[in-house]
Amino acid sequence: MKRLGALMALCAVGLGCGDDSNSSSTRQQVEISYAAVVGDQPFVCGNRYDNLGANDTSLVLSDFRFYVQNVDMKNAAGAWIPVELDENEFQTTGVALLDFEDCASMGNEDLNGLVTGSLPAGEYDGLRFTMGVPFEMNHVNHSTAPSPLNLTSLFWNWQGGYKFLRIDSGQFSETDWRMHLGSTGCVGDAMAGGVTECANGNRVTVEFASFDPSVNTVVADYEALVEGAALDQNEAADAGCMAKPADTDCGPLFANLGLPFGGTPAGTQQFFSAE
Amino acid sequence: MKHLPHTLILLPLLFGAGCGDSDTASGAWVWNLPDTVPPPRVPEDNPMSEAKVELGRFLFYDTKLSANQTQSCGSCHRQELAFTDGLAQAEGSTGEIHPRSSMSVANSGYAASLTWANPAVVRLEEQALVPMFGEDPVELGMANMEDELLRRIREDERYPDMFAEAFPKEADPISLDSITKSIASFQRALTSFNSKHDRGSSALTLSEQRGKALFFGGTNEAGVPDALECFHCHGGFLLSQAVDHDGSEFNQQTFINNGLYKLDSDGSYPDGNQGLFDITNDPADKGKFKPPSLRNIAVTAPYMHDGSIATLEEVVDHYARGGREIESGPNAGDGFDNPNKSSFLNGFEITEQEKQDLIAFLRTLTDEDLLTNPALSDPFAQ
Ligand code: HEC
Ligand code: HEC
Repeated sequence: MKRLGALMALCAVGLGCGDDSNSSSTRQQVEISYAAVVGDQPFVCGNRYDNLGANDTSLVLSDFRFYVQNVDMKNAAGAWIPVELDENEFQTTGVALLDFEDCASMGNEDLNGLVTGSLPAGEYDGLRFTMGVPFEMNHVNHSTAPSPLNLTSLFWNWQGGYKFLRIDSGQFSETDWRMHLGSTGCVGDAMAGGVTECANGNRVTVEFASFDPSVNTVVADYEALVEGAALDQNEAADAGCMAKPADTDCGPLFANLGLPFGGTPAGTQQFFSAE
Repeated sequence: MKHLPHTLILLPLLFGAGCGDSDTASGAWVWNLPDTVPPPRVPEDNPMSEAKVELGRFLFYDTKLSANQTQSCGSCHRQELAFTDGLAQAEGSTGEIHPRSSMSVANSGYAASLTWANPAVVRLEEQALVPMFGEDPVELGMANMEDELLRRIREDERYPDMFAEAFPKEADPISLDSITKSIASFQRALTSFNSKHDRGSSALTLSEQRGKALFFGGTNEAGVPDALECFHCHGGFLLSQAVDHDGSEFNQQTFINNGLYKLDSDGSYPDGNQGLFDITNDPADKGKFKPPSLRNIAVTAPYMHDGSIATLEEVVDHYARGGREIESGPNAGDGFDNPNKSSFLNGFEITEQEKQDLIAFLRTLTDEDLLTNPALSDPFAQ
């Protein structure tokens, strides 16, 4: 069922379908590695990290997951070619979940640091991708979605979507500092039966002009994400940044993600780097 | 999709056949509604059936839907209180206090948008995921426990047959999707149009009739026509302007500031509970909430999105003054001057008799059937 649905969707967007897709002679597999770090240390679920944010706060981090989509690689001619993602429990219909937590009360033991797929045989030397779930998949019935879009801890139902990024600290107390990012400012319509548009997509586009998947890794750095944020305070009602436009705690994090926030225009993201 | 003529949705229902891909409805569904009330919109993929509504009733009242098995939807939506909880602010299964007051789910199938101030949530099937899996605040607290939920339901001997009957076309009928579809169908079936008010003016006492006239635009004793203006926001068969039904062709979502607070010159409401503003971030949306249906209003105290008005008498005083003044404390300020307040709400003169009449009318909106009908009651009680 799950595979069928995904395949049909792929056919619909003109990617490989049916027999055509196993013409493997003309395609090559690609594996893109992702890593989660906190400054110069690897992210280990449940570890404490010091000197974070504007006020050198210590936090025990317990969750680190994000979705990516629109994974493209740059060929020798400089054109961006879509990577057709494999279908597995971490990837469906062009969306992959990178999952670095294995200790959270809101997670599970399984980990994933790879995006796998295929593209036409050739030379590629650049990578781009978007963190988030595409609008068309973000606002459909979550209760029938295949893995990894069926994880209720990544549901973002008040906006009818998914949490694109989830990094938690704390065990649900006042001093928690959680970062949940998804689309906001969404409006729906009973006749359409769901969300029709969101003022803030909050999808992060990342591009590395030079990236060789056989040697490079995409690194997501929590320290870079929270740079300048006062993690020992919660100005707004929510514990940390819940991406609400009025949640002023989000300002520095959005800036570090290259996203516009309030009156502040979009900048350059520094959460992801290629190493 | 958007402008699907409603007959397409209705016809299959009339013939009792499911039009969705997932199931054929077993037990044709008949809406028991007065002539003046259209059926609610029913999503194509979730046709009504007796079996599904009955399954939805069990799930609505089942504490298996909360992580610690202490709460069900019915804990905060109690039948005898027209599916509210009597609290100013709801309390979740882990003791977390919700910023808002539980709403009546009677007639929730007619909501143009669901909950107090969220234009994104328009389907009951989706709304149910919020109390189940929401973490901020925690209500049923089931986030990350979807497998455990399905295990609990499968292990309960009454459920497999009920799911099979409600979802006859599904190979594996016990799923999150069928849970939310059943609960949504039960809520669509919670129609409530059998109040004294629905039996026409002749059923009302003279006092109730006078109150009704004032509510619907009559001239008050001070000689002002449409002095009270209630029906502009609380009119129509639902007694809410924010209505949707199977024949609606327009989005009738409505969000209004009725002058409860004014914390600053922007018209702020208390932080974290600013209504539509929390979604749009537009300062002009501060304090804007959905005008709820006033059906069964006499049994759903306390009132407003945060339960901050205790009685109907005080609600009338609030509107007569044209906004609430809070003299001291963190929420001090005069809601009368809130820059976002609706222009309909400028206050009015009201005599003691008129006030009693208006409240007498509001009391005619109670549907005793809804409060006592065993078919809507908690099947796990006793
Ligand atoms: C902890 C108490 C609590 C529990 C448990 C709870 N609710 Fe609610 N319900 C509320 C509150 C509070 C609101 C208003 C929420 C808001 O505006 O953000 C609400 C609003 C609603 C609405 C919107 C009604 C309208 O007319 O807009 C529906 C429908 C609803 N709940 C259904 C359910 C269902 C179904 C369940 C079980 C899956 C459930 N609720 C569990 C407290 C609760
Ligand atoms: C301009 C639109 C408007 C008018 C006119 C209006 N209301 Fe309301 N009413 C609202 C809104 C919006 C709310 C919810 C406000 C909130 O919770 O912040 C509300 C809430 C209420 C509630 C509480 C409902 C609940 O479930 O807690 C009652 C009772 C009520 N109104 C009665 C009246 C009466 C009686 C009148 C006439 C005197 C009236 N309203 C006029 C918009 C209006």
